[in-house]
Amino acid sequence: MGHRVPRVTQYLTEHFADEGFATLSGYRARGGYETARRVLRDQSPGDVIRMLKKAGLQGRGGAGFDAGTKWSFMPEPHHGPNYLVCNADESEPGSFKDRLLMTRGPHQLLEGILIPAFATGAAMTFLYVRGEYAEPARILRRAIDEATAEGMLGSNVLGTGFAHQVVLVRGAGAYICGEETGLLESLEGKKGQPRRKPPYPAECGAFGRPTTVNNVETFCHVPHIFERGVDWFRSMGTDQSPGTTLFGVSGHVERPGVYELPLGTRLDEIIFEHAGGVPGGRKLKAAIPGGVSMPLLPAGHLDVPMAGEFLRERGSSLGTGGVIVMDETTCMVRVGCVISEFFRDESCGQCTQCREGTGFVHKLFLRIERGAGTAADIDVLEDVAGKMEGATICAFADAAAWPVQGLLRHFRSEFIEHVHTGKCPLPDGFEL
Amino acid sequence: MVHIRVDGTAYEVREGLTLLQALDDLGVLMKGVDIPHYCWHPKLSIDGSCRMCQVEVEGMPKLQIACGTPVRDGMIIHTRSERALAAREGVMELLLVNHPLDCPICDQAGECKLQDYAFEYGQAHSRTREPRRALKKRVELGSTIILDQERCILCRRCVRFCREVSATNELAVTQRGDRSTIETFPGKPLENDYSMNVADLCPVGALTTRDFRFKTRVWSLEEVPGICTGCSRGCNVHVGVVDHEVRRYTPRRNDEVNGTWLCDQGRMTYREIGAPDRITEPAVRGNSGQLVGATLDRAIGRAVELIREAVQKEGPGVVAALASAHATNEDLAALRGLLRALGSETHAAPVLTGSSDALLVRPEKAANAEGARVAGFGEPGLLFDKIRGGGVRVLIVLGHDVIHEQFLGTPEPLAALDGVILLDTHRSRLEQVADVVIPGRHLAEKGGSVTNHAGLVQAVPAALEPTFEAIAEAQVLARFADALDVSLTDEPERKREVD
Amino acid sequence: MVSPAVRAAIDEEIAKMPEKRGALLAALRLVQEERGHLCAETIQEVAEIFELHPAEVMEVVRFYNHFHERPQGRHQVNVCTSLSCALRGGRGLLRQIQAHLGIRAGQTTEDGRISLGHEECLGACGNAPMLRIDDAYHLDLDWLRTQQLLDGLE
Repeated sequence: MGHRVPRVTQYLTEHFADEGFATLSGYRARGGYETARRVLRDQSPGDVIRMLKKAGLQGRGGAGFDAGTKWSFMPEPHHGPNYLVCNADESEPGSFKDRLLMTRGPHQLLEGILIPAFATGAAMTFLYVRGEYAEPARILRRAIDEATAEGMLGSNVLGTGFAHQVVLVRGAGAYICGEETGLLESLEGKKGQPRRKPPYPAECGAFGRPTTVNNVETFCHVPHIFERGVDWFRSMGTDQSPGTTLFGVSGHVERPGVYELPLGTRLDEIIFEHAGGVPGGRKLKAAIPGGVSMPLLPAGHLDVPMAGEFLRERGSSLGTGGVIVMDETTCMVRVGCVISEFFRDESCGQCTQCREGTGFVHKLFLRIERGAGTAADIDVLEDVAGKMEGATICAFADAAAWPVQGLLRHFRSEFIEHVHTGKCPLPDGFEL
Repeated sequence: MVHIRVDGTAYEVREGLTLLQALDDLGVLMKGVDIPHYCWHPKLSIDGSCRMCQVEVEGMPKLQIACGTPVRDGMIIHTRSERALAAREGVMELLLVNHPLDCPICDQAGECKLQDYAFEYGQAHSRTREPRRALKKRVELGSTIILDQERCILCRRCVRFCREVSATNELAVTQRGDRSTIETFPGKPLENDYSMNVADLCPVGALTTRDFRFKTRVWSLEEVPGICTGCSRGCNVHVGVVDHEVRRYTPRRNDEVNGTWLCDQGRMTYREIGAPDRITEPAVRGNSGQLVGATLDRAIGRAVELIREAVQKEGPGVVAALASAHATNEDLAALRGLLRALGSETHAAPVLTGSSDALLVRPEKAANAEGARVAGFGEPGLLFDKIRGGGVRVLIVLGHDVIHEQFLGTPEPLAALDGVILLDTHRSRLEQVADVVIPGRHLAEKGGSVTNHAGLVQAVPAALEPTFEAIAEAQVLARFADALDVSLTDEPERKREVD
Repeated sequence: MVSPAVRAAIDEEIAKMPEKRGALLAALRLVQEERGHLCAETIQEVAEIFELHPAEVMEVVRFYNHFHERPQGRHQVNVCTSLSCALRGGRGLLRQIQAHLGIRAGQTTEDGRISLGHEECLGACGNAPMLRIDDAYHLDLDWLRTQQLLDGLE
């Protein structure tokens, strides 16, 4: 394996046990906002972007795009403002790290916003919080008010002369608003239907202005990188995927929860060492490495470092780092039913393949699970998933297709068993 | 200009356009370069959602939608590569997953893009055994349009039309995913002056006009180029004819005149052609004072008699003409030529005016108002004075707009004349004072040219023969000239460029 | 009519955004909090405030799960049924709740107490199964605890 053995450092969540960390005074007592003050005072936007590019921070929202590169796409503001958007629409099933970052460390997020805001010349950040996150929204709103009152936000940020405002906007229940252009539409008071690209947000984003969208966790890493430097940051994780990330582990494990670990930590280590393995002495059957959009991996394939470059070799991806573990009682057709139901419900309905395909796939899974399927249905399932992939306005249809492909790649025999016996071979698995 | 190659053929196209726009701009889209598409429409914003127009662009790993991909110099495009065809087949299969497949009872059958492309890209049979989506089959969106939600493929052309063209916003797509449907807000139906265009835009049988619905199978329609006669815009139409009957007007694209649109009011003027109040036979006022049916020869004879008597008695100056702004340039030239041959210059054209809008509707409510003006038929005020003053003895009248309240309001002022010769298509109170009535032909029945408000002369062929005997007004006037032994030297207005 | 207090709150939201329409979701949320649901008349009122056609507002209302066009119960109980919860009994929990309340997801109890729904992942996968009552999350549930929660609702 080409990744370094990391020393375990948990910089994002280090103070999360301390309730005071969520308040401005508690955050400042830990040195909070001093990094932003120094960066805004001493560095130029160009310096900031160059340093972040060197750090190689990958976006933590699912696509893993290099954050510094993304910032560098932003033009200098002219004839109007540039905007920054914090994507706090965390809704990928299996992902629950951003909720923790927002509730326990709201000022860490705000400080993380200030630095790229300065680097991209953004006048305003829209903090788009999914509608269900009432408590995180409350906490963030209080943090914004505190920070504004104390001069961390507003017309003269930290006494540096930089002006920046953070506006909290709440969603209203639609997964697709986590897609960056769906989010922009929603921000503008419309249905959250993703936009055709080009133009990209850096050219024409929120309200027609140049805009950069980053995920909550991505922002949270930023102050730490600027506080301790590129070398420190790159000392964790892998060459291509430096730093730590928050892995959310759920499903059939002893200790579900959020674990901050270096990128490149092996999936089996996360499941067995950190999350305590499968309860009740049952065997592990499969795990999804990064939220339900990512193809699952069977038990024999879990010795993989959790970083994009390694997971891709296994036909999957890091996604949001939401690890979902399934034990031996789990029926994979039923898993398909649950996942496909989600995508059917959440497809925005614009593109043909996605609108019609998500419902079609769900019907096929249900048919096979009920024992009414045929061998041909399995082929159709695979074929339709293929037709949905890579052919639509946004990646939602891909996200709906990949798990289908993963299930068929690794558990086809279980599907065949369903159609041959005309019933589910795992009746005692989780309830559908 | 940039150079691109599409399926091996080189094209020079305007920069800044997307591939479909560029091909449309060249006039080759679907006329040589077939890239099927549902959501894209040349006069609406790019939507990019139907995914039918995917093509392979060299150097780009994924297939690209031709509607949304900007052309770049040196771009090499394959529209019929294996991958592109497979992608289209995939879109077709998924579009048909929930489609009711009720072509035998669908009005769109024959002009349905879903049907057309299914032949080309579809599979022989459907692979879904699940019940199809059950939705509302007959939603009255407004007074003109019926929606079949099951047939809708959600291309959103109609929604975009109402937002971008009529700017009335009545239509919306509600819900998400495969539950999405086109809806109106309760109490706010689709009611605008252009509502019926959404039926033309609909690539499938989801939107139909209440007017045309179930009337005709499309393949029995003969479609002939025509001009709408509702106002002076001169919108280009297809005249849809079955068995000597016009069943509809649909817009015929002309980017200089009407783009791809037609206003509802103009569209419905096709009904004038087959209206029950058409004048279907010539008539002559008899000794009893009543109009009595006559042969065309007899009617022409009587008209000529009236003209000749007046000229002999009081000189040519007492013969005058009121032209219709609906008359073709050929009719107007014949009328002016006849008068000129007789030695009279007394002619005018009353042009009815009404409301207008910023899109198509013009205030002049006749197709050839500008043609009449150019031909020298001015406003009728002076002629009316002359009539009231007794300076006119015989009046040749084309059309009956003159008795509209914007002009005389009543035929009374014409009662005192020695002769009123009426060439008209539709019955009116003008017959009360007419001595001779000769049926005319509608533009769709005679063809000819009309000049629109911007000076564009547009010629169309006859689309159908009337169900009764009638000849074009110009021919009637030529028969007058023959009988009067004068020649019509006047040439019709020549085709002229727009100013 | 939208109350003066809500109207003032909407104006405050509008003032925060670069364009008026950007406050539409916030306005719908505020109005729904006051009225309980968004009937056609309410949608029309909001449309007037935002200078939109009511069809455009209706389209937004129907796109997002949190807006309701019909009257709702006094409490919204939403059970997460996504994979992480499903694996740990989320769907069984929903079935038990349905039996207990005598309604199906998407329905409201006859006494108007509870509107039951199932929701996509609520971002609490580490505490499955879970549900949301109004704005509050209830985590690591079993049937006993769930029953207590439901029965405790006024």
